Amino acid sequence: MFRKSVFTLSAALPLVLLRLAGAADPLPPAAEWLPPEPIVSIEVSDPNRLLDRLLDPHTTAAIQETAAYQHYRKTPQMMEFLNGIRLFEASLGVSWETALRKLVGGGAMVAVWPNGDAVAIIDGEDADLLGRLHEMALAIAQGEAEKAGQPGRVASADYRGVTGWTFNGEEAHAILGTRFVLANRAEALRAVIDLKAEGSANLASTAHYRAAAEAAGSSPVMGYVDLATLRHLTALHNALEGTSEPLASLLFSGILESIRTSNWLALTADLHESLLYVAAVTDGEPVEEAAAFALPKSPGEGAMPNLDVPGRIAALSLYRDLHGFYAAKDDLFPERTSGLIFFENMMGIFFSGRDFTEEVLAELKPQVRLVVAEQVYDPAVGTPRVQVPAFALVFGMHRPESFMPVAEGAVQTALGLVNFTRGQQGLAGLIIDRLEHGDTRFTVAYFSTVDAKDPDDLDTQFNFRPALARVGEFLVLSSTEGLARDLIDVLTAEAAEAVEPLPGVHSLMEADATALASIARANFDQLVLNNMVEQGTSREESEAGITGLITILEHLGRARLEMGSQDGQTRLMLDIEPNLP
Amino acid sequence: MPAQQKVETTGPVEAGPCWAWAPYEPDDERPWDLARAGHLLRRAGFGGRWDRLQEALADGPQATIDRLLQPAAEVEAFHRTYDAYEAALPRSNSVEGLTAWWLRRMIESPQPLLEKMTLFWHGYFATRNRAVQSTELMIGHVQRLRAHALGNYADLLADVVHDPAVLLALGAQENRRARPSEPFAEQLLAWCGLGPGQISRRDVHEAARALTGWFVLRHEMRFIEREHDTGVKRVLGHEGPFTGDDVLQIALAQQAAPRWVVGRLYRWLISETDEPSEELLAPLVEDFGRDYNIGDLVERMVRSNRFFSPAAYRQRVKSPVEFALGIIRPLERLVPTVPLVEHLALLGQELGDPPTSQGWAGGRYWINRATLLGRHRLAEELLAQGGAYGEGLDPAAAARRHGREDESSARAWLLALFLQDDVAPEVREHLMRAVHGANGTSSPALRHFARAVVAQPEFQLA
Repeated sequence: MFRKSVFTLSAALPLVLLRLAGAADPLPPAAEWLPPEPIVSIEVSDPNRLLDRLLDPHTTAAIQETAAYQHYRKTPQMMEFLNGIRLFEASLGVSWETALRKLVGGGAMVAVWPNGDAVAIIDGEDADLLGRLHEMALAIAQGEAEKAGQPGRVASADYRGVTGWTFNGEEAHAILGTRFVLANRAEALRAVIDLKAEGSANLASTAHYRAAAEAAGSSPVMGYVDLATLRHLTALHNALEGTSEPLASLLFSGILESIRTSNWLALTADLHESLLYVAAVTDGEPVEEAAAFALPKSPGEGAMPNLDVPGRIAALSLYRDLHGFYAAKDDLFPERTSGLIFFENMMGIFFSGRDFTEEVLAELKPQVRLVVAEQVYDPAVGTPRVQVPAFALVFGMHRPESFMPVAEGAVQTALGLVNFTRGQQGLAGLIIDRLEHGDTRFTVAYFSTVDAKDPDDLDTQFNFRPALARVGEFLVLSSTEGLARDLIDVLTAEAAEAVEPLPGVHSLMEADATALASIARANFDQLVLNNMVEQGTSREESEAGITGLITILEHLGRARLEMGSQDGQTRLMLDIEPNLP
Repeated sequence: MPAQQKVETTGPVEAGPCWAWAPYEPDDERPWDLARAGHLLRRAGFGGRWDRLQEALADGPQATIDRLLQPAAEVEAFHRTYDAYEAALPRSNSVEGLTAWWLRRMIESPQPLLEKMTLFWHGYFATRNRAVQSTELMIGHVQRLRAHALGNYADLLADVVHDPAVLLALGAQENRRARPSEPFAEQLLAWCGLGPGQISRRDVHEAARALTGWFVLRHEMRFIEREHDTGVKRVLGHEGPFTGDDVLQIALAQQAAPRWVVGRLYRWLISETDEPSEELLAPLVEDFGRDYNIGDLVERMVRSNRFFSPAAYRQRVKSPVEFALGIIRPLERLVPTVPLVEHLALLGQELGDPPTSQGWAGGRYWINRATLLGRHRLAEELLAQGGAYGEGLDPAAAARRHGREDESSARAWLLALFLQDDVAPEVREHLMRAVHGANGTSSPALRHFARAVVAQPEFQLA
């Protein structure tokens, strides 16, 4: 092995690789070789479990069948990469899949510290293969360095019995038996070697890390975030200080407060069949007064399950006490008082002089649901040039009999205002009608197509056909008649099944990227044209870019994010189901 | 490429109108050189690409002007494509999408003179979307301007007075017999050069009566006969049961009309620093008043000795649009035009929304401390990598495309491209020797150098 001695480790050259002659003893967990208090660390304790799934012939075949793969495999960069892989396999006499398992099969851990140090520890199962791979990489690095006229940038040095290497004068790495340690600079590698030699305080010995590891359980992937340290970073500190945006506060309350009071956050990830599960747990609870409106008040309470309608793109279900939230507005947003008073006065007009807090919001239950869905256009009306998804809000009402007429009046007042304003601009107004769907009578407002010139090229306004319906205790406010009809069906079925809230869950989001891809495809020309003037690209470039984006969306599949509190901890669970052929 | 001082000794500047409007023919004292070619491509377009500059140098001035005036074969298809892009814009009350596409059309147009003249008429009629509030109507308005930009002024005016966007902008969407719209009539007469001193209040009122009956209903022009005043009107000494078209004919028959248009075009194409004498403009006014052919008038101006004389050379301040496109077009790359719309508005030129009914004041009003800093900032953004303009314009890549591989030749090429070498020798020497942070031929170094070049006072002048 070519080796150039470096006598002073404190010099700019860092180091790396070391080989221990007798590394037969089992190595301690990687966390014991890492200094305490990193900002973030990620540990893959059972890579084979993930590799089994990722390298499964069915999965690889499915990926290779995707249009995106077919496209990229023909690019020069991909061809070069594949040639590199073939060279690697020929040189080492082993397939890349086998090599991957032998080189990382024992686990991997990466950590980053506040001073910018970063270390990765990778445990393999074949010291000989690791050594041969290093020799190969060394030869390439030396060749590149010679070519660049900087042969000195590839160097090695010994430190406390370990040989460290650098291939570019900055990174530092060492090999200890089957373990590969890589640091972004020599000092970080030296700290690892010091811990190995001395066994002093390390990441695994800190109370927060241990608590996070316990919360993570046996997950094959665990992420650890030191929130106590991270909170001192200015950007995050400002973000956590609270927001003056009422809508953002309404959406994210319960999450921000939790992070604000937590010491750590544990992330876990796992694969089951084609599902990717990600979960996050913190040791903080959103106990602050300000977030009380986002917390279920009794153990059985929580957000309702999302509503599933045909062509659903996304759905959001929240547990939010809107009355409590708005009643606390002066404390939450003192600097927004003028704007909120104006808003309240406007609401007073729509709700016939009622007090917005006590006579409107107090009538609503804390479960709020939002649905976004692809539209199916009525051929008798036509199709707009720009297709906008339908969306609807569903509220529970405490006293539907007495509040529904109030809501009906408010909506019709708003429609009247819209019509008046449009009339001033010489534009057609909305025609208000009452329709029936099953046993439900509901209100719909629509634009007449009398003045429309081309039914296949209608204006954007024809995406909207606002509807208001009552289904049992629920109030449905929809942007389209079609979605209102679907929701009437779904809510009727939900009432029959006596669907219960999700205990402890305050936020539930679900999205289907496939449906979003369908909308993008319907608006392909518009997206291409927008892209051309926004990015300064040619039509061909924009078409390729948008096609690529749609392809990615089609393969992203579905995602579900659930947030809530349980056993004194805030929990977040994300499930992703990619859409592979 | 040596530094030169061009367009200094250029012949009998003070000679009479005959010489002034005679076609320019290069001679030893007034050679056809890079500076004059650059001047022509700036005024009759938005600045020259290197191949266009070289082509112009090789072909001579008159052949180059022929090419600028006569549409290339692909022009029709180009405009059809862009018309379709604009027609696909979602209907709204905003004009941002239209202006983004218009800027892109200016950047890519194979007939830049047509876009330059469309921009001129936009400032001339100054129709503001703030009042129109319709993408669709503004698209139609700009297309009308483009259709007549080098056509006939009488036809242009006749079309403009039946343009719903124009009527909405003037608050003249209802021309009732019982309440004629005098501001509409006053503006129409103003477009014929007739203002206070030339017309009486009665002329305005009577002209307004002739225009009654025209309404904008649901964004379309409608003539409602019962609202038209069929009585006898007396306008500028003429008497009869006139309609709007009659009033237009009467107004265009006045001597002031051709003089007004010629004066405005003189400022646009020749100079905004001098007030041309009546004697100087007389031949143009006489010819233009005969048939109102805009194309002929423009052609005569840009072919003339006057156009290539010191009285015209760098005697206009570039508008923000000219400044930005003067950087973009020569570097042969597209940029995102959505942020450009916003940046130009910050520099005082909000396309689709001129500030007053007189359009943009232009000239020295384009430049003040804030807008000068803004121009530097815009140049910086256009030439930056990873900013509002994505990868930004890359002068190094452009220089390489034209075979300028080393630092010295790349810098010299950029000076020739942007300033046609026409800067003071000491400025040239300074730029060539050391622009802080711009040494080398790397992309960042030449971006920095190009920023220094377009920050020169000479580059602010058209």
